[in-house]
Amino acid sequence: MKFGGTSVATLPRWQNILELTASRRAEGARVLVVVSALSGITDALKQLCAQGDQGKRIEAARAIAQRHDDLLEHMQLTVPETLAARLADLARLAEEGPAGLGELAWQAQVQAHGELMSSALGAAFLSHSGLPTQWLDARACLAAVALPNQNERTRLLSAMVDAQPDPALSARLAAQGEVFITQGFIARESEGRTVLLGRGGSDTSASYFGALLKALRVEIWTDVAGMFTANPRQVPGARLLQRLDYEEAQEIASTGAKVLHPRCLSPLRLPRVPLLIKDTNRPELSGTRIGPELREEAPSVKAISTRKGITLVSMESVGMWQQVGFLADVFDQFKRHGLSVDLIGSAETNVTVSLDPTENLLDSDVLAALATDLAKVCRVKVIAPCAAVTMVGRGMRSMLHRLHTVMAEFGQHRVHLISQSSNNLNLTFVVDESVVDGLLPQLHEQLVRAGAMRTDDATLFGPTWERLYGSAGGGHEPAWWVDARARLLQLAQERSPRYVYHLDTVRERARALKAKLPVDRLLYAIKANPHPAILRALAAEGLGLECVSPGELARVAETVPAGVPRLFTPNFAPREDYRGALEAGVLVTLDALHPLEHWVETFDGRDISLRVDLGRGLGHHDKVRTGGSTSKFGLPLEQLEAFLHLASARHARVIGLHAHLGSGVLDPGHWAEVYGQLASLAERIPTVEFLNIGGGLGVPSHPGEQPLDLDAVGAALVEAKRLYPRYQLWMEPGRYLVAEAGVLLAKATQLKGKGSWRYLGVDAGMHNLIRPALYDAWHEIVNLSRLDEPASAMYQVVGPICESGDVLGNDRRLPESHEGDVILLATAGAYGQAMSSPYNLRGPAEEIVLD
Amino acid sequence: MSPSIQPRLTQVFRFVRHSYADGVAELVYAFDQGEELVERIHFPQAPALPPARAEAFAQALRLLHLIAGVSYYKAGVPPRIELQDGPLDDATADLLDALYLHGLAEFAYRNGLDLRGRIAFPRGGARGPAAPALGLPKRTLVPIGGGKDSLVAVEALKQAGASATAVWVGRSDLIAACAARTGLPTLNLQRELAPGLFELNRLGAWNGHIPVTAVNSAILAVAALLYGFDSIAFANERSASAATLEYDGQQINHQWSKGLTFESLLQDWLHSHVASDLDYCSLLRPYAELAITRAFARLTPYFEVFSSCNRNFKLLGPRPADRWCGECPKCHFVFLALAPFLPKPRLLTIFGRNLLDDEAQTAGFDALLEYRDHKPFECVGEGAEARAAMYALSQRPEWQEDALVARFRNEILPQLDAAQLALEPWLQADGEHRVPARLLSALQALG
Repeated sequence: MKFGGTSVATLPRWQNILELTASRRAEGARVLVVVSALSGITDALKQLCAQGDQGKRIEAARAIAQRHDDLLEHMQLTVPETLAARLADLARLAEEGPAGLGELAWQAQVQAHGELMSSALGAAFLSHSGLPTQWLDARACLAAVALPNQNERTRLLSAMVDAQPDPALSARLAAQGEVFITQGFIARESEGRTVLLGRGGSDTSASYFGALLKALRVEIWTDVAGMFTANPRQVPGARLLQRLDYEEAQEIASTGAKVLHPRCLSPLRLPRVPLLIKDTNRPELSGTRIGPELREEAPSVKAISTRKGITLVSMESVGMWQQVGFLADVFDQFKRHGLSVDLIGSAETNVTVSLDPTENLLDSDVLAALATDLAKVCRVKVIAPCAAVTMVGRGMRSMLHRLHTVMAEFGQHRVHLISQSSNNLNLTFVVDESVVDGLLPQLHEQLVRAGAMRTDDATLFGPTWERLYGSAGGGHEPAWWVDARARLLQLAQERSPRYVYHLDTVRERARALKAKLPVDRLLYAIKANPHPAILRALAAEGLGLECVSPGELARVAETVPAGVPRLFTPNFAPREDYRGALEAGVLVTLDALHPLEHWVETFDGRDISLRVDLGRGLGHHDKVRTGGSTSKFGLPLEQLEAFLHLASARHARVIGLHAHLGSGVLDPGHWAEVYGQLASLAERIPTVEFLNIGGGLGVPSHPGEQPLDLDAVGAALVEAKRLYPRYQLWMEPGRYLVAEAGVLLAKATQLKGKGSWRYLGVDAGMHNLIRPALYDAWHEIVNLSRLDEPASAMYQVVGPICESGDVLGNDRRLPESHEGDVILLATAGAYGQAMSSPYNLRGPAEEIVLD
Repeated sequence: MSPSIQPRLTQVFRFVRHSYADGVAELVYAFDQGEELVERIHFPQAPALPPARAEAFAQALRLLHLIAGVSYYKAGVPPRIELQDGPLDDATADLLDALYLHGLAEFAYRNGLDLRGRIAFPRGGARGPAAPALGLPKRTLVPIGGGKDSLVAVEALKQAGASATAVWVGRSDLIAACAARTGLPTLNLQRELAPGLFELNRLGAWNGHIPVTAVNSAILAVAALLYGFDSIAFANERSASAATLEYDGQQINHQWSKGLTFESLLQDWLHSHVASDLDYCSLLRPYAELAITRAFARLTPYFEVFSSCNRNFKLLGPRPADRWCGECPKCHFVFLALAPFLPKPRLLTIFGRNLLDDEAQTAGFDALLEYRDHKPFECVGEGAEARAAMYALSQRPEWQEDALVARFRNEILPQLDAAQLALEPWLQADGEHRVPARLLSALQALG
């Protein structure tokens, strides 16, 4: 069991170690505890080493001793003899300085004291607390080996140990006791000098001991529950990886995860000792178990990671690669300039390699020198800054067919290099660094949706980081339809398919937006669901209504009082539409030059709003992205000057700027960013009064997905408004207000087996709900008749339409279902009925309002 | 403001009054008989004004009133200017006539106006006695803007051992972050524009670029007397004095108030009217942009906080794209001008992308190089400097395959005389400067 610096720095943490060690002992295992130095001590020792002045060294040693004395005082222990001896040693080393031992050997000796002292202190504490513990000198067990590529510095300060199972050592320890404590980070070399193991040293020590003793397992106790499917700081929905094999874990550790140093896995591989990562503060969590066994399981991408700051060197030369020794000469240049090559991609006339961001690369002229030398034999192009996006999972090549949406995502960016090695563990894309922050959460989501990362396998994938550590915590409130089950079953029995809308949920969402966001005007985008009851409910909550067609304007006019604010934002609409809206006194939004250029007098003297395209799109699917050149929406920024000129010539005043980048956005900083970008444009347009930052507030659809953090959205907007206080803030949410308020009720029609596939037919189809077919949207599907039965079957849930795309859900775990069962499709309140079609003439679903 | 006022049809711009109390200066203006436009400038934790500086302070405050009026005057550009407290002496009137004419030249050009003969501050007032020396404390206000120039000036002052305070006007997280990184004491002043100006804008006021550096300079002159500083050291460089373009016989310079002419006018005026020991200068005046970017290339600690981009300026995020839009002339120029002096991977980490390998930026870089286009209206170096920097890159293997560098080599370079493209001449100090003796060592620290 290995514990790091913060785990050994305070009394409560030592009590924790005591408890954990005792519990393992109680299971009948003999325990070897490996500890780091108290947090901050290794740095203090390094500073001591760098101190030329003897007096200051002695002072530093005294301060270090004091830290240990203080902790002992908390433990109500007197200084044990073992520790007193170490402290005396350290004081002597500080006084003598490096002269006697030689600089490097002295440094190693000094720095080793961090662990020597913490372990001595720990032995005293554990023994005194009723768990007799033997202090073991790691240097008596771990013998460093000299490697040919090492110099004196690396031999002493980042040594390697060749740890083979040593039954004699096991026997010797077994004779001495049941519980031991020893030091991480240190070993001894052939001449008997103390050496250090370098970065990740304590974890590596634990692995060496695990291998030497052929332990039951090695446990690394740290401050996080294990490895995750992605960096949780970038992807809060990343899932805990509960099981990995050594190779996968090593690949993940090397390509991004910081929790484990990659070098500590290799000693365990041969003796097949498993390694377990556990959270000291949450020992009940399963953690990550890394072992040899390859369980029978479907191939799955296990993790996706990114590394930034990568520089690519692309070398182009016609027909020279086949010349013997040419590549060797080229790579020799990298060696000569001290640059280590990581990824390699090659073609007949091109070899491209990647370099990691070392200080050498960033702050010296080494790259210029390398390029100059390479330019003598080929054409060189330096491509930077890049980021490598790596997917890790055993059997990557067998998953390629599932990666098409992921590939499509990469297809939108410049991919400079793709690398996949024959061990079939990884697939790496090198792209421009600037796109990678936004890309990672999307790729993670795509991997889940595409079934390439099989997060439905609960033995492999644990809870999300957000649920374990996030502020949101707490989990979800149950959906309204769970409480309304009886009524819904009755409604479906009467007739199906039927849409049912829950008005209180609509009102709740509206109130939450009003309470949490600093908006001056909220406009409901009625295209999401123009049901009159919903329009009336939202108008009563004080929302305005945003329309995109004369039909919608007419619906609004006949449904809500004339005083309700309205906004008309059509796209490529004919000129009559605008005239009609203006005559009705509705503010219109333009998003092209054409209307001002060609429709003389229509806009003369009018106030107008302008929708701009900020040049990029966001969203959960191509077809819901509404920014970027490939989208038909918005005025490109380069035409802004021309637009203002035309507007000014027509005496039309641009009083609002609008941008809407897409739907389903879950990044809470997004809207503040849009506000800031619009504000910086508005500063050049003095007539602007409001900034309309659109909608696109994401709605979670998968179980376990975290809802959008409205508090965070609000906080970011408050900050944006502080910086640009002059403008009113408008938003136009649509789906957010109504999606969760609606469900589609259907009844099971027929069941069919086809090979290993099982189809569950229902009487609702793509004519009622086209989102799964159109956007690959995921709607939760439940068997409302059998809500309490175990979900033991896996179905393809399909509708009655004569179209192979009429699939409402793939691979859904449901109870064994029967004809007549009521099947509920959740989050169907937005773009459900509104996008329905008469295809196959099955008639529309009825709409029921629950108020 | 009466709702019927039509800003563009106003007849008189009136300087109504100004006052100072408790750290707030109030500057009042009006058009015709319209409502008063009240601007407030906030001086945080302002100490009591020493009586010995009262007269100087009054002079500086009056000048601030006159200079800050440019923000409002331009809304209507009426034919007459009226001063409530009587005509100006000739030197003051000369300063203001020049500032309003040249400082608004780009504004006039863009709006199709000709201001020549239109701007005449009432003159003929009596000239007061020559201003005495006030024995101001020997410390320097150094305005910082978040860009490279002011940071180079800060480091030069630090190296010369001068006592300095980093000062800026307005709210900006970017500047605050840069100021914090300097390690200097900081002073953040606030300028609160008259709300009536926004109303005028809604009513169709003229709009455009104003000489904001002049306004900030006048604010700092007031601050120097209030807090006790003997010098204000800007970081305006040599090319700021060059005209951006000539139109109808008039030189138009986007950054006129950053130029040597204005610096000299204001410095002389402060010496004669406020205090003979209050200095106003630009530390970087003798240097070209490339000399400054070379100096900045050594200041690694600022790389992750500074930005010269004038878009995305206020909202700060952790990514380079949150500080550099990558598409404006400032981004283009700073990228190009730093490139010869930094390892390529380091430069690219600052910007988060390689602007010279992005064909979408072709037109922007062409404009910088003055290739098929005039110089853009931005505070950027001269075309010849941009060409020298591009030429240097075109000779380097690690750059020469990048799309726009390759284009330069193939398409533009053959049309140029390589002898005119050397980098070295741009690195030398050259030309007139107005740096006072006390700060000369800082000027030399840059060399």
